[in-house]
Amino acid sequence: MKPLALAVLLAISLPATRPIAAEIPDRPEKLRFPKLAYDPPNPADYRVPLKSGPIAYVVPDRTLPLVTVTVLVRTGAYLDPRGREGIADFAGHLLVRGGTQSRKAEELEERLAFLAAGLSSAVGEESGTVTLNLLSKDLPEGLALLREVLSAPRFQADKLELYRQQTLQSLQQRNDDSSSIHAREVESLAYGTDFWAARQLTGSSIASIAVEDLRAFHRKWFHPANFTVAVSGDFDRGAIVPKLEALFADWPFAGEKPPAIPTDTRMAQPGVYLVNKDVNQGRVSVLLPGLKRDDPDYLAVRVMNDILGGGGFTSRIMNRVRSDEGLAYGASSQFGGGTSFARPFAAGFETKSRTVAYASRIVLDEIQRIAAAPVTDEELNTTKRSLVDSFPDTFSTKGRVAGQFANDEFTGRFEKDPAFWQKLRGRVEAIDKDEVQRVARKYLHPERAVIVVVGQRDEILKGHPDHPAKLGELSGGKVTELPLRDPVTLEPLPSDPPKR
Amino acid sequence: MKCLLIAVAAVATLGFPAFAQKIPVVEKQLPNGFRLLLVERHEEPRIAGGWVAHVGSANERPGITGMAHLFEHMMFKGTPTLGTKDAKRDLEIIDEQERVRDQMRAEETLMRAALRRGDVEDITRPEARTPRYKALEEQFKKLVDEQRALLVKNEFDRVYTTAGASKMNAFTTEDMTGYFIEVPSNKLELWCWMESERLLHPVFREFYAERDVVFEERRMRTESTPTGRFQEQFNAMFWDAHPYNWPVLGWPSDIPAITKKQADDFYALYYQPQNITLVLVGDFKPDDAEAMVARYFGRIPKGNQPPPEVLTQEIPSYAEKRYNAEAETNPQLDIVWHAVAAGHRDSYALEVLEQLLNGRTGRLYKGLVLGRQLATDAGAGNQSRKWAGMFEVSAEAKDGVSLDDLERALHEELDRLAREPVPAEELQKVKNNFAAAEYRRLTSTFGILYRLIHAEGVAGWREINEAGPRIQAVAPEDVRRVAAKYLSKENRAVARYTRKAGPGTAGDDDELAGLSPEQKPIARQISSSVKQEKDAAQLRQMLAQMQAKAAQGDPKRQQLAKFIKGVVERRLAELEPKK
Repeated sequence: MKPLALAVLLAISLPATRPIAAEIPDRPEKLRFPKLAYDPPNPADYRVPLKSGPIAYVVPDRTLPLVTVTVLVRTGAYLDPRGREGIADFAGHLLVRGGTQSRKAEELEERLAFLAAGLSSAVGEESGTVTLNLLSKDLPEGLALLREVLSAPRFQADKLELYRQQTLQSLQQRNDDSSSIHAREVESLAYGTDFWAARQLTGSSIASIAVEDLRAFHRKWFHPANFTVAVSGDFDRGAIVPKLEALFADWPFAGEKPPAIPTDTRMAQPGVYLVNKDVNQGRVSVLLPGLKRDDPDYLAVRVMNDILGGGGFTSRIMNRVRSDEGLAYGASSQFGGGTSFARPFAAGFETKSRTVAYASRIVLDEIQRIAAAPVTDEELNTTKRSLVDSFPDTFSTKGRVAGQFANDEFTGRFEKDPAFWQKLRGRVEAIDKDEVQRVARKYLHPERAVIVVVGQRDEILKGHPDHPAKLGELSGGKVTELPLRDPVTLEPLPSDPPKR
Repeated sequence: MKCLLIAVAAVATLGFPAFAQKIPVVEKQLPNGFRLLLVERHEEPRIAGGWVAHVGSANERPGITGMAHLFEHMMFKGTPTLGTKDAKRDLEIIDEQERVRDQMRAEETLMRAALRRGDVEDITRPEARTPRYKALEEQFKKLVDEQRALLVKNEFDRVYTTAGASKMNAFTTEDMTGYFIEVPSNKLELWCWMESERLLHPVFREFYAERDVVFEERRMRTESTPTGRFQEQFNAMFWDAHPYNWPVLGWPSDIPAITKKQADDFYALYYQPQNITLVLVGDFKPDDAEAMVARYFGRIPKGNQPPPEVLTQEIPSYAEKRYNAEAETNPQLDIVWHAVAAGHRDSYALEVLEQLLNGRTGRLYKGLVLGRQLATDAGAGNQSRKWAGMFEVSAEAKDGVSLDDLERALHEELDRLAREPVPAEELQKVKNNFAAAEYRRLTSTFGILYRLIHAEGVAGWREINEAGPRIQAVAPEDVRRVAAKYLSKENRAVARYTRKAGPGTAGDDDELAGLSPEQKPIARQISSSVKQEKDAAQLRQMLAQMQAKAAQGDPKRQQLAKFIKGVVERRLAELEPKK
């Protein structure tokens, strides 16, 4: 149809002004909506390479008298030597909570509290984060405190001992909730026990952490060359940039560039892995190897997974496990992506012990089905429209704009794909049913599934009289019982003999 | 002199208007009773929309507990035109299902009688079903299968998702049921259509599968968590008369017994327009939005009778209550006092009291964690609900500290607040944080919606703007007075959690039972390092040393020595297996 003809047709079918007394239609498809144009913000408009080292994203927002400064740090728990797990976590926590050279921890806390300022720090698996949020009137003082924390933390010994005790007591709780047992075993089975991301803190690994370890960790990695910065809030760009320059200028020590993040994961052999825990609901994950976020297949995989189990109530797994059968409150799947290494595919749910096998069977069937046959037009349309039309939510606040762009800079996405956000919707629109099925076939092989179950072993193995599925019949027929581990040492504990 | 200087400095630092930031709400009333709250914001092309039904678990009664929450689930099941390919047959099937269910309920009555006689132990197990019950289940399942063939699964959700909506969800509390979503700003009409349709003629299809979902939710939240069951029971012990004493999720025996007739009656009473407030926040013009809302929601007829208020009031507490639980958790304390409903004149001072106790510079952390080193964490919370309120303090004991000592220290901190007025600077610190929070709460469109729904469901939305100045006006004497008035001994219930022995627990197993609380962590630490020791010679040396000291040891230490000896010997046996 020619554009003019289309325009005429639209003009006829859409009244220019909606009459108030118009009939309310019986179906939502009959509603007509005004057009909504949306252009995402452009990272180049906010990107400021600071002379003092870091790249900063500076996003002014004069609506409220607040400022947020986030410093991303190239460091992570992956740097913890074997047997010394916890150094990164402790350094991350105590950077802010352990005082600075000129202020004891208690003084720093009192001042921050009086200013109603939030200052927090943490080191996660692949990065560190230090965030300051405060009223804009206090910005000069806040930046001075941030500089002290970043460049001259005190790592006060009594705060180290307190955090060690708090952490030890949290380790003692590691078998109390089945979710923590489950998370731990999922990591071991998905990555292999030797992989850094599967290593856990233990009583002895945290017992050996000394102030000197934290200082050394800090001086190696907390250096402007390892920083990426996001700033948003109540300031003028021209006024904030010199303040940021000063924040990172004349650093008192030279750091190092951290080594590459190891990527040598090794998933366990296919089969069912079961940990016995006396709770009346079994917790299940179905694992398969995944892919990285920058993989060319990733977007199609995301669309496919939305239809399979990532899209909430419009996804197949939710419909079958929850809505049809009432077997679980939550049931979903995810392809984690992963910026440095491939995070696994994981489908999961919690269901009463007797229906663990049956619900697992349903999930495996759905995984098999999406690879075996094309998805419907309606399913594909729902997912595509959802991704495209909810897109503005990505940048819903100025804080999110700064945060998202800084993150892209940090993870290398901006360098690799500078127009990522501009192009995203077009790329989603281009995905068709064949593409969805192609990636489903490529990545989803139920016969290779590693199934992790935590719950009442004997009840789970019994199955349900109404549903013929048995745990032993899933994924190659192999059921391996994994021992519960001592919560502090993670040494295997003797297992209870099965009940007759 | 010095004190005065600090006070002056404190005031000088507070160089911003402490409570200037009101949320600009436009309130409207529809002729059929709906209230409508509008907040215009143009930061992003989205609209956050929601509504709150002024009904929660407190409006239930024994026998139908869990009903309000079950409705929250059922409201997503569709309308005559959304969710099925054949509306007429769908409704017929629902009626037929109900007739089978009536027979099943009669059978359940017999099963409960058998339970009371002791003929069966647990009627929830699949093996406990009677032959007749199983036959009826088969009949019911056929109807489910027939209905499923006509269903358009989760179509209500699919329409929204396809339209680019996000964050769709709902929640139920003791006081309210809230529903919310965010839509692109050009789709306000879709929101009006969807929400008014489901209020005008909801269809509760898949009622019984959804009931099973709620049971899984109960297992997930309450039954399979370390302290969920205990918290539920402690709450039931705390409230004597008030309907806050049953859980929002309902008692497990009530959820399966709820009939469709009861559900229909409940809906007619509590989901009528005069019991619902609609809320829109985001990118729209208020006049246009109001007109559109009026057009769609105006169709819904006004109810026949106003919903009843919750009449039952809590009786005064005459004696302290204590609850001792053995659970899979670190030793901890939870103390709850009866306090005041939301909007009560004392609620503001209680909010201030909460914040004086909380945070890394709060009284609890400084007093119990840093100062006396009895706890690893501690916190307080004032919960002013719609009909009544409570004030709560909890703390996790540091390893080796007895709960008696921790509890005593906790009361000493609270007694001090009931005796001595709070220093000006400390009070100012807390007020500064309340003032800053007035800005922080405005950073997100969705956040504003969520706050309005909650405020409206408890004390009315105006509280969101009126509480700020009242909190700033709280004086040291107000704090002292409410601490003295509410945090009294007879007004409280105390839950004490100690660690339950079991496989893979951290300590307190039989061997540790004879040890003092101070010895247990030492024993655990030694045990854990012994279990990792690979050198048998080291262990033998350790045994020899212990032998030498045993003669001079005092009796208190002998229990610990005996324990360590056992651990070392077992480890040696592992390292040097007998041939």
